Amino acid sequence: MHKGYLCMVLHGHLPFVRHPEHEDFLEEDWLYEAITETYLPLIWVFEKLVEDKVDFRLTMTLSPTLISMLSDQLLEERYLKHINKLIELSHHEIERTTWQPQFQSLATMYLNQFCRARDTFEYYHRNLVMAFKKFQDLGKLEIITCAATHGYFPMMDVCKESVRAQVKVAVSHYESVFGRKPRGIWLPECGYVPGHDEILKEAGIKFFFTDSHGILHGTPRPKYGVFAPVYCKNTGVAAFGRDLESSKQVWSSIEGYPGDYNYREFYRDIGFDLEFDYIKPYIHPDGVRINTGIKYYRITGTGNNKEPYNPQWARERAADHAGNFLFNRQKQVEYLQGFMQKKPLIVSPYDAELYGHWWYEGPQWLDFLMRKASCDQDAIRMITPSEYLSENPRNQVITPSMSSWGWKGYSEMWLQGPNDWIYRHLHASSNRMTELVKKYPCAEGLQKRALNQALRELLLSQSSDWAFIMGTGTHTSYAVRRTKEHVLRFGRLYEDVQSNSIDEEWLADIEYKDNIFPNIDYRVHQ
Amino acid sequence: MIRKIKDKIKKAASKKPNARKKIVKAGVRLESAQEARKEVHGFQEMVVEKAKFSHPEITRAHGRRSMPQELPGGYDQDKIVLMVRDPWWLHTYWEVCWATFERQKSELGDNFHKARRVLRVYDVSNIIFNGSNAHQHFDIHVNEYSSNWYIDAGGPGKSWCVDYGLLLPDGRFITIVRSNVVHTPIVGPSWITDEEWMIPEEMFARLYGMGFGLGQSSPVGKAWQERIKQALFSGAMASPGMASMASPVKKEVKQRKFWMWVDCELIVYGATEPDAKVTVQGRSINLRQDGTFTLRFALPDGKQTIPVKAVSADEIEERTVIPIVSRETKTSNLIKEVK
Repeated sequence: MHKGYLCMVLHGHLPFVRHPEHEDFLEEDWLYEAITETYLPLIWVFEKLVEDKVDFRLTMTLSPTLISMLSDQLLEERYLKHINKLIELSHHEIERTTWQPQFQSLATMYLNQFCRARDTFEYYHRNLVMAFKKFQDLGKLEIITCAATHGYFPMMDVCKESVRAQVKVAVSHYESVFGRKPRGIWLPECGYVPGHDEILKEAGIKFFFTDSHGILHGTPRPKYGVFAPVYCKNTGVAAFGRDLESSKQVWSSIEGYPGDYNYREFYRDIGFDLEFDYIKPYIHPDGVRINTGIKYYRITGTGNNKEPYNPQWARERAADHAGNFLFNRQKQVEYLQGFMQKKPLIVSPYDAELYGHWWYEGPQWLDFLMRKASCDQDAIRMITPSEYLSENPRNQVITPSMSSWGWKGYSEMWLQGPNDWIYRHLHASSNRMTELVKKYPCAEGLQKRALNQALRELLLSQSSDWAFIMGTGTHTSYAVRRTKEHVLRFGRLYEDVQSNSIDEEWLADIEYKDNIFPNIDYRVHQ
Repeated sequence: MIRKIKDKIKKAASKKPNARKKIVKAGVRLESAQEARKEVHGFQEMVVEKAKFSHPEITRAHGRRSMPQELPGGYDQDKIVLMVRDPWWLHTYWEVCWATFERQKSELGDNFHKARRVLRVYDVSNIIFNGSNAHQHFDIHVNEYSSNWYIDAGGPGKSWCVDYGLLLPDGRFITIVRSNVVHTPIVGPSWITDEEWMIPEEMFARLYGMGFGLGQSSPVGKAWQERIKQALFSGAMASPGMASMASPVKKEVKQRKFWMWVDCELIVYGATEPDAKVTVQGRSINLRQDGTFTLRFALPDGKQTIPVKAVSADEIEERTVIPIVSRETKTSNLIKEVK
């Protein structure tokens, strides 16, 4: 009989990056890399688990922007082109490394992985959302939603209409894709401010996640800490708090698993390592070196000397680490059970892109974990939030504390010198959008199109990713550009609608470029 | 108390975001700050999220990309917005129309020019603020070109409101714009425990500690609070906007970062009849349409014997060329003594 629960959550998100106006656009690679290194490997893990009849449970966010990109025809075609290039490159690599068998076997590994990626991609008719949906329909995966464009809610608190629009657009988008409403939401960056649960409730959302201190610093005190969900006062929306101990083991590159010396080194990529003329066709057309995804070294140690990667050793470590993770959860649950009158729930959320992209062996680790949890023990039961709530409907009522899972636990990552300038523009645009909705409650035709596009532009400008990139202080020009672009497009639409001078050709052009959420209704922004 | 507030003001004044330039010069300082950051909550999450966007900058120099025009300088409104950065710090930005200042000017006459621009920060915890019932307030003097400010409110678990206005020489304060009210979160467990869900102090403490992954024996709660506080107030941990607070760098032996690496590749190329069959080291290769071929190999240390054999289409003629290549790598490193 199990003594406690484990809820693994993967948050899958990328900002909307799609540039039909350019033939080749560097930042679109974020998506292609994540498809090859994270989303497909996860799908392979799920497929094999189902095939082997392993009863696993996983919760996963697919953010509306990610879903939109994964189902976009242009990006699908470009991904194929991208993966074909990688296949070509790995053929060259196999030849080039003829006298270096330790590298040649890795080049062959990459070739196989890329070919398999292409096959699976085609198998799901190039739309990976349908693959994830399949596992949701099988009851193994619970897919939750996220804010429409990953707006960071604590910075939008003065414009609740925008928070509402972010939530409502996400919910209806989810419904159109999965055929039912989402039960849960991942608040972008776990950014929670008391009261926002009211907006979640309006949208029919049953639960969300916070970082540990969101629950622990709630009022009144949470009786079971983060080891049981709570209901938000007045709304009854459930909040699940992150367990930091299990988090650290996976997140930390220093004390966590991904830092193991046998694992693949993320920062050594042939895009940077190989001779320029040779690699040129596979990096940016302007000759800027980029990651290709072909990496030959293991972490090795703290110094610069890196040894060749050995997949077998890495695989063994992944198995060990999965066993260690589970063992630690068992100990944790046993300890907690000593003074809890109910079975503790351990919530372990991670960025999905940590698995595979950042931590190459992450999907393998997850695979081992699911198998061990399902077959080798019964102290811990893996569970989704919905299952937990239906089995444990009685929970404490508190008001969680404002918090995020970002750097230092609050809002500083998104509010500091390099990015604080954006908020006067974002807030002004939000207020103007509210004004437009009031002024034109039943627009039709061209005016309606312009108003819908205005909301798209507003939402796109609110992506927390832009502020995040600016906050990291490196390579910020794209993030700055996107923020400005959307604010300016919104501003022009705002003027044009009111002066009744909408330029249809220009509108069609930005509808074509920023084509996210085709069924959006501007009136949700109120 | 007043001095304390003044100190705060001084600090706040030196924490303006435009201090960012300094950080570029103080490269060493930034590095140590980044080292220190690793200990802070959410740092790894940041590293991983950053890795999602792992790309070099494509600048205008690379052509094809242009920056959109600048955003408007203002929105022709009188407005001040207050936001919570963390339990201790607030951020505010404001905008006042030209016309509003003109009106003040004509009302106040000479006094307008003598007045100082001030942010008045009110503690409005648990009250409905009417402009005069705040528990306390403090002023921050800002110059007329400022339009945003980080405020060291220093009070978790409180409610705040801020006015932007004019402080006249006679001590009168004239509010130009008033902000929204915000609430800073508490930084420890709540003191409120409702009766139905009473929970023994010690048990909660253990849960609390485990929740933060601090283990069973750690000084629960306090450790966390101390850690965050230190992180926020020590210069080493400062965000770029707080660079000027950074503590002086200790003199340490500088870690040299000079480096070099060299590798060799070998290009084997040639030509034959386009319909010939060619093998290299026994492995058949494809010819280009004109019968030429190029192979490229990473060349490790040691001797490579590379037989290249071409067989004519009618299999009557055969030619073999065998380049033999050897590589030997020697290295030496020299670090000169620096006096």
